[in-house]
Amino acid sequence: MNKDAQQLQPLKVGLVGNPNSGKSTVFNQLTGLRQKTGNFPGVTVEIKEGSFTLPKGRRVSLVDFPGAYSLYPTSSDEKVLAEVLTHTTDPHFPDVLVYIADVTHLEKHLLLFTQILDLQIPAILALNMIDLAAAEGIKITVQPLAAKLGVPVVLVNGRTGENIAQLSAVIEQMESISPVLTKPFYKFSDDETSVSDAIKHNFGISNAYRALLLAHHKDWLPFLNSAEKAILGTITETKQFQSLRAQVEETLSRFDRFTPIVQEAIQHPPVFPTTTTDRIDAVLTHRVAGPFIFVGVMMLVFSCIFYGYEITGGWVEGLMGWLIEKAEAAVAPLQIAWLTDFITKGILEGLKGVLVFVPQVALLSFLIAMLEESGYLTRVVFMFDKMMRRFGMNGRSIVALIGGGACAVPAIKGTRTIGNWKERIITIMVTPFISCSARIPVYMVLIPIALPRAGWWIWAQVFGAMYVLGVVTALASGWVLNKILKTREASFLTLQMPVYRVPHWKNVWLTVMDKVKSFVAGVWKPILIITSALWFLSSFGPGDIAEKAKNSASMDITAGVRTDADRGDLEASYKLEYSWAGKVGKFIEPAIRPLGYDWKIGIGILSSFLAREVFNSTMYVIYSLESVGKKEESAAGDEKPFERYATLKDRMMNDRFRDTDQRIYTTATGLSLLVFYALAMQCMSTLVVVKQETGRWRWAILQFLVMGIMAYLFAWVTFLVAS
Amino acid sequence: MQRRYRTLPELKAHESAQAVSFTDPELACKLTAMGVLPGAMIEMVRKAPFGDAFYVKVDGVRLALRTEEAEQILLTV
Repeated sequence: MNKDAQQLQPLKVGLVGNPNSGKSTVFNQLTGLRQKTGNFPGVTVEIKEGSFTLPKGRRVSLVDFPGAYSLYPTSSDEKVLAEVLTHTTDPHFPDVLVYIADVTHLEKHLLLFTQILDLQIPAILALNMIDLAAAEGIKITVQPLAAKLGVPVVLVNGRTGENIAQLSAVIEQMESISPVLTKPFYKFSDDETSVSDAIKHNFGISNAYRALLLAHHKDWLPFLNSAEKAILGTITETKQFQSLRAQVEETLSRFDRFTPIVQEAIQHPPVFPTTTTDRIDAVLTHRVAGPFIFVGVMMLVFSCIFYGYEITGGWVEGLMGWLIEKAEAAVAPLQIAWLTDFITKGILEGLKGVLVFVPQVALLSFLIAMLEESGYLTRVVFMFDKMMRRFGMNGRSIVALIGGGACAVPAIKGTRTIGNWKERIITIMVTPFISCSARIPVYMVLIPIALPRAGWWIWAQVFGAMYVLGVVTALASGWVLNKILKTREASFLTLQMPVYRVPHWKNVWLTVMDKVKSFVAGVWKPILIITSALWFLSSFGPGDIAEKAKNSASMDITAGVRTDADRGDLEASYKLEYSWAGKVGKFIEPAIRPLGYDWKIGIGILSSFLAREVFNSTMYVIYSLESVGKKEESAAGDEKPFERYATLKDRMMNDRFRDTDQRIYTTATGLSLLVFYALAMQCMSTLVVVKQETGRWRWAILQFLVMGIMAYLFAWVTFLVAS
Repeated sequence: MQRRYRTLPELKAHESAQAVSFTDPELACKLTAMGVLPGAMIEMVRKAPFGDAFYVKVDGVRLALRTEEAEQILLTV
């Protein structure tokens, strides 16, 4: 490729460093809003890509690799880096690497850097957190590092953006700089030399260290085919190569070599002083106080989400009401009834289904980013590791489970902070069991129906029990999944706890933006499709259902069963009964009859797919109370929550099965329906987000089926026991 | 006979000892990569609230370890 052609291609720069090196902050400084988060092919590891322009105009595509300590990975995060750097034709293989190191612990941060040197990838050493170093009285001399490591060294402060421009300028010069270090940093043992030579010869690889890494990672590197694996197997066997031992020897030897270089460059004060972080941790991770403080913090998170849902939900309702009005006015002149109906109840309903969650996702992402950025989440993992591990989860899962108490959608979006694949999947799978805000209105209708003679005191107890039921099923399912799911990832806790820092506003802001953008981009299409489908099912049926509904309503009124004032409500009710949704409800009635439900509940369950609270508005329509429902819901007072839906409750309780003339809503039916709503996966938005976060529909479908089956069985048992 | 080594969980709070070696090779890989080398001074800071994990300090770096991990770290007496 000639020089001109190269100019057209963006320069591929990789950002590498240990966890807690402040890498993401530097990434955000370099790219700002020009970044997106994707998944690394094949694994659930998150990879951030961004772009920026160098001072002289060359474009850079920047990849933020997951933090790693070494090219000998112990987690799927670390594997990504080893995989890319051993595979020179990988699309992510960088032209230049920028290595971010925490200068306050430089003696621990250079292992991976010296491994990169030996791969002969052009690299820049960026020493980060110079503000902390100054505060701790650490003195830095750059010259010995640059000379002995043979690379440009830049001092940066990711948080303030200090020297970031200089880093850019050095990246620009990299193409014209040839590596100074001609000899490998790590000197191979005889065994390593012979293994590496054999691989170089067989695979046509020029770099000795890359060849050696193939020997170490032959079992899992995805780009190796079985023939190549067999050759590597033969080589390592005949040379009696012992990977694990060689890794430790190599690591120790590298430390031996770079420790004196670091000591020459960095002057630490003689003792490590007790810092603010130690003082904060003495309280926050205290054996007794720690968990209580955590409960307090989580209650705060829960309240924020819970009240955030109430407040922003009202805003979205208001906005949608305004939009519906505008849309109706715009479409009305066309005189097409179904189109108006489709736009207001199909498309705009779908838009609402997306919009209502945006503030939720933003708010919970914000709170989680604050906890993560401050360093507190790592302490949570430390404190609750044992407790959560029993249920196949991680300390960080608690945040998702509590967030799920408000809404599973943002909670599942927030599980990205869980590094371990299996723990993350389990958290995603069990979070929807936790009773979310959308279930509350349904519980409010059903609890008084199930226990009509009990007072509000008992009702409140049952309401609390619904939450307990959710938590217990979530943990029990986690326990079961933990037994079933297999992972080859070794589970280590061993993690570094960073110093406490005030969250960096730019990182928090970019995280929130990223979460919201990716949420909207991922969910709007499926949600629109599902709402449109549900609209179609409830608006159309075999034949002219509007005409049929009109006739049935007239017959009822002539027969004197209902008065003319009810005509509109009656027609709506019959129309729903005659629609495809009504047909589906009647079709599944035999299947749900054992749980005590009739076809009307079938329609309710079906329509709940939009959002669980839609159960109530569907019931209002079915019981020909559409006009009453609007009044009752909008006039809802907070003082007597259980009496909010009184008219609906009365009408439902008087309803009887057509064949047996027995009451539909007995205590048994009520309780069974409560259990069903607590356990069933009835939320399309959650399913779409589960697909988005796991990368596959497989998990979403599995979740839907398993939760559905569990809901059915438990509801059935409840019905049997209660009758 | 006196024991030659003890393991990390035996340390009391704020007690320090020098790491001698790591018995599990995989954990040895992980710890050495994180800069916890044989010869490093390890200080026990505290036990986790529900037990089963330890908060330690090595050269000013704070680490969390599970009991089964901490048991692999042999220390001088």
